[in-house]
Amino acid sequence: MDSRLYNKQEKRQDRQPVWKGNLKVEKFSSEYFRKLANDLKFDLSDEEIEALKKDFLAVEKQVELFDTIDTDGVEPMIYPFETPTVFLREDEIVDVLDQDDALSNAADVRMGHVHVPKVVK
Amino acid sequence: MSKYTPTIGIEIHCELKTNTKMFSSAPVAFGKKANTCTSAVDLGLPGTLPCLNKNAVRLAIKACTGLNCTIDPLVKFDRKNYYYSDLPKGFQITQQFHPIGKDGFVEIETEEGKKKIRIERIHMEEDTAKQFHKESGTYIDFNRAGTPLVEIVSKPDMHTAQEAAAYVEALRQILFYLNVSDVKMEEGSMRCDVNISLSDDPEKLGTKTEIKNLNSIANVQKAVAAEIERQSALLDEGQKVEQATRRYDEPTKTTVLMRKKEGNVDYKYFPEPNIFPIALDPAWIEEIQANMEELPQARKERMISQYKLSDYDAGLLVNDREKADFYEEAMKTARDAKKMANWVIGDISAWLNKNSVALAQSKLTPEAAAELVNVIHDGVISGKQGKEIFEEVMQGKMPREVIKEKGMEQVSDDSALLEMVNSVLDANPQSIEDYKNGKDRAIGFLVGQVMKASKGKANPKKTNEMIRTELTKR
Amino acid sequence: MDKTTIEQSAKRLSEVQPSLNAVVTFAELPDEISTQGKLAGIPVVLKDNIITNGLRTTASSGILDNYIPVYDSIVAKRLKEAGAVIMAKASMDELGMGGTNRNAFTGPVHNPYDLDRISGGSSGGSAVLVASKAVPLAIGTDTGDSIRKPAAFCGVVGFKPTYGRIPRYGIIPYASSLDTVGTFTRSVKDAALALEVLAGRDDHDMTSSYEEVGEYSELLNDDLKGKKIGILRTVSDEIKNPDIKAAFDQLVDDLKNAGAIVSDLEMDRKLLELIAPVYKTIANAEATANHSNLDGIRFGVRKPGESVEDVMTASRTEGFSSYVRARFVIGSYSLFEENQDRLFRKAQKIRRLISEAYARLFEDQDVVLTIAAPDVAPKIEETSEVRFGIDRFEEEHMQLANFTGYPSIVLPLGLSDGLPFGVELTARPFEEQKLLDTAAGVEKVIDFQGEPTL
Repeated sequence: MDSRLYNKQEKRQDRQPVWKGNLKVEKFSSEYFRKLANDLKFDLSDEEIEALKKDFLAVEKQVELFDTIDTDGVEPMIYPFETPTVFLREDEIVDVLDQDDALSNAADVRMGHVHVPKVVK
Repeated sequence: MSKYTPTIGIEIHCELKTNTKMFSSAPVAFGKKANTCTSAVDLGLPGTLPCLNKNAVRLAIKACTGLNCTIDPLVKFDRKNYYYSDLPKGFQITQQFHPIGKDGFVEIETEEGKKKIRIERIHMEEDTAKQFHKESGTYIDFNRAGTPLVEIVSKPDMHTAQEAAAYVEALRQILFYLNVSDVKMEEGSMRCDVNISLSDDPEKLGTKTEIKNLNSIANVQKAVAAEIERQSALLDEGQKVEQATRRYDEPTKTTVLMRKKEGNVDYKYFPEPNIFPIALDPAWIEEIQANMEELPQARKERMISQYKLSDYDAGLLVNDREKADFYEEAMKTARDAKKMANWVIGDISAWLNKNSVALAQSKLTPEAAAELVNVIHDGVISGKQGKEIFEEVMQGKMPREVIKEKGMEQVSDDSALLEMVNSVLDANPQSIEDYKNGKDRAIGFLVGQVMKASKGKANPKKTNEMIRTELTKR
Repeated sequence: MDKTTIEQSAKRLSEVQPSLNAVVTFAELPDEISTQGKLAGIPVVLKDNIITNGLRTTASSGILDNYIPVYDSIVAKRLKEAGAVIMAKASMDELGMGGTNRNAFTGPVHNPYDLDRISGGSSGGSAVLVASKAVPLAIGTDTGDSIRKPAAFCGVVGFKPTYGRIPRYGIIPYASSLDTVGTFTRSVKDAALALEVLAGRDDHDMTSSYEEVGEYSELLNDDLKGKKIGILRTVSDEIKNPDIKAAFDQLVDDLKNAGAIVSDLEMDRKLLELIAPVYKTIANAEATANHSNLDGIRFGVRKPGESVEDVMTASRTEGFSSYVRARFVIGSYSLFEENQDRLFRKAQKIRRLISEAYARLFEDQDVVLTIAAPDVAPKIEETSEVRFGIDRFEEEHMQLANFTGYPSIVLPLGLSDGLPFGVELTARPFEEQKLLDTAAGVEKVIDFQGEPTL
């Protein structure tokens, strides 16, 4: 463990906005889909965007289909079964990974930490 | 007074004092070796599922009760979705739609008297990992990931920096008294974000800014004051306040821009499908509430009646649970409640401050403090002598031990005193004569002589009695 | 359990691998083979979304190509404890998203009855390895019909028990409110035995059931006399393939002859037509969130980048196929605050309406029976991954059992041009014994004799 790491403690910083409500791009334009994808932390190629545009025509049709169903007073069905459970876990230490196991799949480990390029502030 | 009315709302995140994480059975720990307190769940490894900690729910129920919230007995969780390197799953499990507590309040003391600050909601959620930013990159420690939190959101009911600080202090005390959280702001187990807006129209709210990550109550007050000043100056100049997230910069005593707000972030909240709603047993909730620790206000009232303390003294003690606990422990043997309080609030507190030591870390035991009060109360030593031995008592010695070492014991030993009394009587036949002639003040003179002979160690009360007895024999 | 030794299984697995392409990772075999436990010495294959401690688990996604878990799924643990030997991890549609098993990082899986045809998916690798007799038991997962569809296409028994019957801890998810662990076997009895081992509450999965686990295989009773079997005609009437139609009609007659009380059931077509869009909306939305942990930071294939954001973006772009990324975009879109009411929440409401209508079918029935799929497995090059078009409900109706969580089993019914097709039986929640009993009876009546050409 490198104690130097702790000299400069993290200033809890604000999250980058994932999605901006007042999006200024035209809905269903290429830029729109690129933005949608980038918010999910991946890119789309031009061909992929063209394919998605077609998909979204179907999505919009689906909305129309949904609109034909009266769901007034119907609660969303979130789980297959809706009887509440009562189980809560006792506050006892059971499952702990040792450091090697915890870090064994990380691509870049330095000084017992997962290392990533500097987080852009 | 400014022509603008500030409106202040506060969000507080508090780590719950549990053994294990909110949704995994890995330990909650502070200051442990990096990445040694995690489970597959905390790392967001594929295939893992959340499993809710009973104790975290228990502590949340206590917080709700202490803050007068209505408890929702059907516990539900939701996902808050965003990508960030300190958020292993890519979503945080929180209670967006059904917080465990709502519609509470806390009472604070203001210059105008007591005031209720309403609490909008209390919800349970999980903490993120800790990141250390260095030139060579960012280092992530997942030990903190999944630590149970409650977030407590106030209504915008505060209007001054003092009120904001008093609210945070009141919350901190209640949560500390209830053993819900360590509430160590400097260690991050309690974190505070403040929203402030100014308006000259009582009907309308101004544009708000948020000050994040305030790490002490003093800084809450300073930051709010600075931000009110900043916004006032802007408005005075006819400028607009920009909606933004700011932080408090201690060296310059100002708030600094972190980032502007561009619309709202859509976190795509939806109900967590892996946790069915959990129906809390009403009997369990009642049991928790029935066994709750005494709250600060109730304790103060009890201490006033039990120890006959002044409102002021009781208040000073209760403000610091450690001192109140110490006081009450000492009162198991101390024979003077008022003097015991004076020592704790006065000399002991001053000494701790001067030496920057917490009461728990000091060598002073409640038993020693009680003995100090008792030896003075019983006349073993004088109050003045009490102050003389205080330093050594603070170093961990028992008062009687120090008294013995210093030879300070007042002479109450009968034979030694008798010897002294008789030699004084032998040397002062005139005073014996005077006494026999009805001049009672001769006794005073004789006691004084014995005190002098004993270099002040003679017990005056005992000396007085003994002189009278010996005089009848002559 | 169908007798296959570990040696036979290992040999057969490597023999069929070049033609079927069903295995992602072969497991190292243990030195000693257990003689204790209900599955002692039984070779099994696990779908590659089932976490195995120390054994690579990829969910057939590029981003997990190097992932070696440090814990065991409850399923893997229970299998090992019962003496089973894990032979290999089987190919699937990437992260369970697909119904063809073409969309796997290691390429398409081939149908053992005709290598030019799909296996069906997403549990295609598991299905074909049971069909080709490499193993008597394979574990799969079923979110829409991911066990039952490939079972129908490959002529094996595909069993999805009740939601929560088998704990999901250690299953790389697709859609949490629909995901169910299940089995592929060559007989109903084997499915019953496997369920005995796999079922039961585990606290790591808060949605797993406390319902008592029965001695399903021991108690198995194939007598159909007096069994109330409802035929979901609205679905079976859509069959166009004359072989399937004939076989199905024959089956209904045979069931009556075997003493079953058979009646016809209908369901509102309008609701049936909503199954696929409702399913996709819910599944894609849950999947988008479920797979947000796949970012290359703590595990998985990390691609280089200037910033942590770049690293995540590069890892996710290269780590997921186009198809999966498209579904994430669609899922995420339906979760936007401005869209939830008309998409995600609306779908959840319609899910309730569909589920209630489906539940009503069971009011006077022991099980509901219908056709599994209206046709045999299509040719690989003729299938394009259906992306988000309008679907035929007779193709998607098995998702009903996922909406409701009901236990559901597919049995091979016959062959059309040498290719298998199947029937589906469904029962009320946790009535696995009744479902398996009826299925055993139906299995006996059908007496399927299909053999893969491989």
